[in-house]
Amino acid sequence: MCPMARRRVLKTTLAASAALLLPLTLAACGGGSDEASGTGGDAGTLTIQDYYNDDPGKTVWEGVYNACAEAAGVEIDVVHVPGSDLISKVLQQAQSKTMPDVLMLDNPDLQQIAASGALADLEQFDVSTDGYAEGIVQASTYDGKLYGLQPITNSIALFYNKQLLADAGIQPPTTWDELKTASAALTKDGKYGLALSAINTYEGTWQFLPFFWSAGGDEKDINTPEAAQALQLWVDMFQAGSISQSAVNWTQADVNDQFKAGNAAMMVNGPWQFPSLAESGVDYGVVPIPAPTAGAPTVSPLGGETWTVPETGNPDKQAKAAEIIKCINSDDNQLLLAEENNTVPTKTAIAEQYGATNPAVKGFADLVPDLRARTGELGEEWPAAATKIYTAVQEALVGGKSPEQALADAQNG
Amino acid sequence: MSTRADAGTLASASDAAARQPRDGVQPPSRGGRPARSSARTKARIAELAFLVPALVYLVLFFGYPVVKNLLMGFQEYTTKTFFTGEAPFVGLDNYTAVLGSSLFDKALLNTVLFTAGSILGQFVIGLAIAVFFRRSFPLNNVLRALLLLPWLVPLIASAAVWRWILDTDYGALNRALQLLPFIDGNPAWLTSTSLALIAVIGVNIWLGIPFNATILYGGLQEIPEELYEAGALDGATGWRAFRHITWPLLRPVVTVVLVLGVVYTLKVLDIILGLTNGGPANSTQTIATLSYVRSFKEFDFGQGAALGNVLVLLSLLFAVVYLRLNRKAVDE
Amino acid sequence: MSAVPVSTTVVDSDAGAPVSSSGKPAAHRWISTAVGVVIIAFMLFPLYWMVNVSLQSGGGAVATPWFPAAPSLDGYVQAFNDQGRNLVTSLVVSLGSVVLSLLIAAPAAYALAQFRIRWATWVLFGVLITQMIPGIVVANALYSAFSDIGLLNSLPGLILADSTAGVPFAIIVMRAFMGSIPPSIVEAARVDGAGQLRAFVSVVLPMSRNALITAGLFTFLFAWGDFLFALTLTTTEDVRPVTLGLYQYIGTYVSDWSPIMATAVLSSLPAIVLLLVAQRYVAAGVTGGAVK
Repeated sequence: MCPMARRRVLKTTLAASAALLLPLTLAACGGGSDEASGTGGDAGTLTIQDYYNDDPGKTVWEGVYNACAEAAGVEIDVVHVPGSDLISKVLQQAQSKTMPDVLMLDNPDLQQIAASGALADLEQFDVSTDGYAEGIVQASTYDGKLYGLQPITNSIALFYNKQLLADAGIQPPTTWDELKTASAALTKDGKYGLALSAINTYEGTWQFLPFFWSAGGDEKDINTPEAAQALQLWVDMFQAGSISQSAVNWTQADVNDQFKAGNAAMMVNGPWQFPSLAESGVDYGVVPIPAPTAGAPTVSPLGGETWTVPETGNPDKQAKAAEIIKCINSDDNQLLLAEENNTVPTKTAIAEQYGATNPAVKGFADLVPDLRARTGELGEEWPAAATKIYTAVQEALVGGKSPEQALADAQNG
Repeated sequence: MSTRADAGTLASASDAAARQPRDGVQPPSRGGRPARSSARTKARIAELAFLVPALVYLVLFFGYPVVKNLLMGFQEYTTKTFFTGEAPFVGLDNYTAVLGSSLFDKALLNTVLFTAGSILGQFVIGLAIAVFFRRSFPLNNVLRALLLLPWLVPLIASAAVWRWILDTDYGALNRALQLLPFIDGNPAWLTSTSLALIAVIGVNIWLGIPFNATILYGGLQEIPEELYEAGALDGATGWRAFRHITWPLLRPVVTVVLVLGVVYTLKVLDIILGLTNGGPANSTQTIATLSYVRSFKEFDFGQGAALGNVLVLLSLLFAVVYLRLNRKAVDE
Repeated sequence: MSAVPVSTTVVDSDAGAPVSSSGKPAAHRWISTAVGVVIIAFMLFPLYWMVNVSLQSGGGAVATPWFPAAPSLDGYVQAFNDQGRNLVTSLVVSLGSVVLSLLIAAPAAYALAQFRIRWATWVLFGVLITQMIPGIVVANALYSAFSDIGLLNSLPGLILADSTAGVPFAIIVMRAFMGSIPPSIVEAARVDGAGQLRAFVSVVLPMSRNALITAGLFTFLFAWGDFLFALTLTTTEDVRPVTLGLYQYIGTYVSDWSPIMATAVLSSLPAIVLLLVAQRYVAAGVTGGAVK
């Protein structure tokens, strides 16, 4: 080979190998540093991460954090991540070993994160769960160990427009049949009787759960006659025109907008809407979600966020983080947070006390002892089941399938 | 000042990837320079220096992600992996799971329909607008600049606005349609399984028109007036002028617009998520959105990566087939 | 009716109403303007809706009337106070991306177009393939890398990341144009003693002005509208492009649409100005001799 050609070949080979090797090397090195995390330089600064990036929640929580940090004798750095991206952020942080010292998680997400080994077992820090409602503790327990502590909780109930119901001479419904009749009767003049969220996200699943569980449906296998019954209720109301078809695209925020604008006489929503409802001036009342039959209990899903201590490899910081979490969960803070955030405390005694003094939230406070965790049965497998549920709901509502068919198809994948 | 290439050179257009560059410029040999090969090498290095920054950048910023994604398709990559760094190799399991799922067929069909519909709409309307704006009339330039406005708006805002416009009961579109006498009932644009895909395609067309129109307009501008005059003398006006003068000369630009258009459209994620989130009942679920759901909602990154790789493969397939066909057509 | 103007009208990119020598009546042109306005009106209707919502008070956007009955600037005030800094950040990042992308892409495009490089086709194909990679894949990879190097929450980091949209696109588009530059012109410069770089800078770049501006324009638009990298590569509020700033109003429980739309409108303004300035050059032959 003549020298020129050889040189060219050499150059090409070098270039090609560099092009291939470089990314592989980077991929191999991409494991991240093995230093302990915590963004603050000094040992005394802890990072707290949550998704309250909007007021009023933001200010309230920052106030609590600061107070607890002072009590624990540490400085804090608060990071607010946009809600739907919290988990992605957490995963990225886990990979680059930059996890925060105190991490807030939406309670159904805890199982997955705990299963990955990213969280520290709280019992080693003398965290006690005395006085908490059972469902609350269950949600934050993985594999028998406690990984999170949840100070406040919420659920969903039936809101109704007092004026519209009074005008139509209808009492707030207590059973499914009454719900069907009431929403049909209230659907007139271009307004709908009922608004709820049937969106194809976990939010839609969340809204369906009270109906699903109260009828006897089970997330382990959603293809049951009981579940079909619950789905049939929704389908009936949809087809009767009592619920707008747009509901399959509504978030709970959209549902609230509809209710506020007077486009729906009733809605399924939660206490976090109280401030915006107060602003709108709608005269509303709250009753529990109707049960399948008179006297039967309504099983309500457990909402709210739980506080965890990630495995950052820094035991001192972790101990301090646990202290902060205990402080956030103190009786006083539970009351404060409940009041400011329109939620209810998770310790049953405090919840009862709170409900007694606050008639507006009494309905929700009464639910606390019996709230059911979404991850209670399936743990980290819950997201898959949640997806099946909302898929089935949508297929039955707009996909043209019968409830039985929709549930069967969704269950079997 | 700006060079207008000869009509002759334009007429010998071929496709981008197949193009063979013309001879590079040889450095003039000066007296006293040693062996020609050394000067040649120096020149070569100088030439490559033009390319090096780009190559380094592309390899760093794309090479690594591509390789990582390829690998992930063969691994069991879950939330655990992020923490422990372990991602056991599972061979083709991810691919079998993904391709075998009942949702895949639907997603594939939706992807094809979505892409075909969007490109067709964007291109045809974009071309029509580009041709229209070649006329001279007052405010031509201002209007053309305004055409790019939709691109300036953050996608979150655009998606939200379109959600309201398309709302069944109170959306602007349905309210306007009500005013028309022959429309009956309120089409459920975003909430009916039959209409959702159409609605999403429509919004994507809206998004794509500025891109198409601007680039096609530029291409049209390059076609010399003289050709049209000469053509007019031979009796080629209107549609015939378009077919015989405009289209062949525009073809290379069309290639860029179509290939890039398809590649970009296959990846489209945000607008679908913002409008329908893949629903209702998976009627607007495409491979791109499915990949997102698998990775970031169900945290099965292995499957998400597998779907992502399928998408890249589709893009590649299209690009190769199209460019091949184009070259053949041009060579005729 | 002719689809393409056959008259000998000089298509002057600057003038609004050029002189026609074919005797086309002025009325026709105004009709064209009217049609043009209608087209643009349809295209921009959603933007009108955005302004409409931004002027309404109250968060919900259900059954928003066609016109704001009692226009309120509250949304704008809030947006301006909260997002002023973010607008500047977005501007810096976008302009930075344009500069970086053009710096990297222009020489490469020229090399691919004019130099005789055997593997040029492969490079081009590689560039095309980069366009096929879903953004999330790139974002996640960059996150790990940046967090190691310490480029998170930094302007240079975002500039580098946003250029991933601009560089490949600029290479493809500019290469197409530069391919039509007759080598003789460059050769002439070289014969006069200019080196490769000099020839490139003083001869090729000025001739490619329109392609540069078009590529730059789209790079700016890509970077301006980027949300993915803004979200992934920042963890604090220090460096926060306006696309991410919008999220501040989409709280966990409440969507406040008026300031969201006001921010969207405000964020378009600087870009609109740039657009109007640049379109002059975009008009006059963006792809030059077209992709060959």
